[in-house]
Amino acid sequence: MNVSALLGVQSIDYVALLPVLLTAGGALAVLLADLFLARERRTWLVWGTLAVLVAALIAQIVLWSERSAAVRYTFCVPGVPGAAPPRSLLPCSYAVDDFTLTLQTLALAATVLVVLMAPRRFDVPFGEYHFLLLSSLTGALVLVAARDFVTVTVALETLSLPAFALVGFGRRAGGEAALKFFLMSIASTAVMLFGLSLVYGATGSLYFSQVYGGLLRAATLGGAPAQLAGVGAVLTLVGFGFKISAVPFHFWTPEVYAGAPVPVAAYLSVVSKAAGFAGLILAVALAFQPYAHSLGILLAVLAAATMTVGNVIALRQRYAVRLLAWSTVAQAGYVLVPLAVSKSSQVSASVAYLVLYAVMNLGAFAVVSAASGSGAGHLPSGGELAGYRGMYRRRPRSAVALAFFLLCLAGLPPGVMGLFAKVAVFKAAVTGDLMWLAVVMAVNVVIALYYYLRWAAVLFDVSMFGAAQLTAGAPAVVAAPVRARTALAANLAVGIAFALAVVLSFWPNPALDAVSHWR
Amino acid sequence: MGLGGTGGTTYYSAYSIVGMLLLLGVAFVTVSFAANSLLAPARPTPEKLLTYECGVDPVGEGWAHTHVRYYVYAFLYVIFAVDAVYLFPWATVFAAPGFGVTTLVEMFVFIGFLAVGILYAYKKGVLTWL
Repeated sequence: MNVSALLGVQSIDYVALLPVLLTAGGALAVLLADLFLARERRTWLVWGTLAVLVAALIAQIVLWSERSAAVRYTFCVPGVPGAAPPRSLLPCSYAVDDFTLTLQTLALAATVLVVLMAPRRFDVPFGEYHFLLLSSLTGALVLVAARDFVTVTVALETLSLPAFALVGFGRRAGGEAALKFFLMSIASTAVMLFGLSLVYGATGSLYFSQVYGGLLRAATLGGAPAQLAGVGAVLTLVGFGFKISAVPFHFWTPEVYAGAPVPVAAYLSVVSKAAGFAGLILAVALAFQPYAHSLGILLAVLAAATMTVGNVIALRQRYAVRLLAWSTVAQAGYVLVPLAVSKSSQVSASVAYLVLYAVMNLGAFAVVSAASGSGAGHLPSGGELAGYRGMYRRRPRSAVALAFFLLCLAGLPPGVMGLFAKVAVFKAAVTGDLMWLAVVMAVNVVIALYYYLRWAAVLFDVSMFGAAQLTAGAPAVVAAPVRARTALAANLAVGIAFALAVVLSFWPNPALDAVSHWR
Repeated sequence: MGLGGTGGTTYYSAYSIVGMLLLLGVAFVTVSFAANSLLAPARPTPEKLLTYECGVDPVGEGWAHTHVRYYVYAFLYVIFAVDAVYLFPWATVFAAPGFGVTTLVEMFVFIGFLAVGILYAYKKGVLTWL
């Protein structure tokens, strides 16, 4: 094979790349628009960002409508001229299949909600904020479509680097949180790159399909290459473990979420986490499949530790954002469960859980973000749980929505959506002969009920105001329910998330069957 | 490659040379510095203890200040440095057969992105001399 066949111009399918190109181009356009826009018109940037995201979602719809024809592959290494094998057998860097489309749509829609949920008087530089958000999203979109480890690594860094700066926009401890996030992230990336170098050494390729073949060969031959590849695979998973905040790599999560602006915390907990899971799923299901059995045991232990630690520590949290942070750690444990089953057919349960989790978690963050801010009746940086006492009086609709999202996260009716998600994961664990993990998960679901329900109950606790009204005539200045105003866009975000949660509670099939036919 | 068929022992023993070189290097530095401090006579005077600056008497302190505002020039320099890192390997191949116009355009797209960075710095007033 000559050099230009390997390194030369690869054919590029621009339609397949359209969502990524629109997002990346939109990021630049927003940054440039900020430079030439008068200060008082900077709210236009929000609508510009939303327009970019909607355009990318329309491109997604086009790709969805034609997905049944054939999977689109692009950035393929051209084979030897004359003996052209079918596209699906060539090593390709980018694929648009059910998995890619589901998670790209999830990331785009979630970012729409993140942009909308900005609190009133959001104190960040608008141009840079939206530019960084769209840049990070570009990384997420490429990561879920990547089919080789170089693209995965570059996309993971494109996802992470803007996120550090976004965290730094937090007003109270943003700088410290950003530094912690940065240091933890580069350490995990270094470990991951070391692992990848071992995998490359043992298999001679970084394309998923060829790593699969190489590992199969190494596993049958045994000896040093097989050991090297095994160590490499485990170290590679560490990098993703950090992104999804699985338990030994979760320490940054509560600090960073609490230090970051609330919408950025929502972004990290949904888009960044979903992208990290996408990388993990791709690596485990496509590349490291020959080692699925031993990696499965590792992932099962990781899942059990993650959900247990997350739930137990969440019990003692007093701040809303910190509680949500530990809750996302615990939820990541549930998503890991189907991956521990060493059959790739169980991947659909993980993806379904991710989609349903994204809706309910974004909803909860949207309410917290709308309630945060400065001024009367607002809770700075999400506030303490005590600040939500009697929220039903001040903002009945927000309180009902938040209670619904919390019930979804807990998996209780009427939030049946969360129940469907948990049942799908249970089913995967039971069919995969992981009974012990199913039991651990059941215990954890019960532990989690306590803190979700406690918060939901506080919302409707009117005892404080009831007492004030009994002492008629007394000036109840402090306790008087302040009808706080929230930004229109933030309420819109809550409304959209609520509508999606209700629809998915009645009809969860789009999420549950999204990738059921994926390899 | 020799990875497939050879057993574990020969594979790892290839690395033993690296380990031996490492030990040898550490031993060489330790022995030569120890020998120097044991054998050399030490009769210090104030002149001998001065910092050696090419034979000229040293002026001022060793600690020099640079104004913090120059960090932005450092950033701008990095933009151009990254530019050059990609331009040099590209320049050696873009005219080779199999690359052509697409490769040429790709590099200008990349430079366009960097130009946005310069434009951003310019509009934020970084390029005005303080």
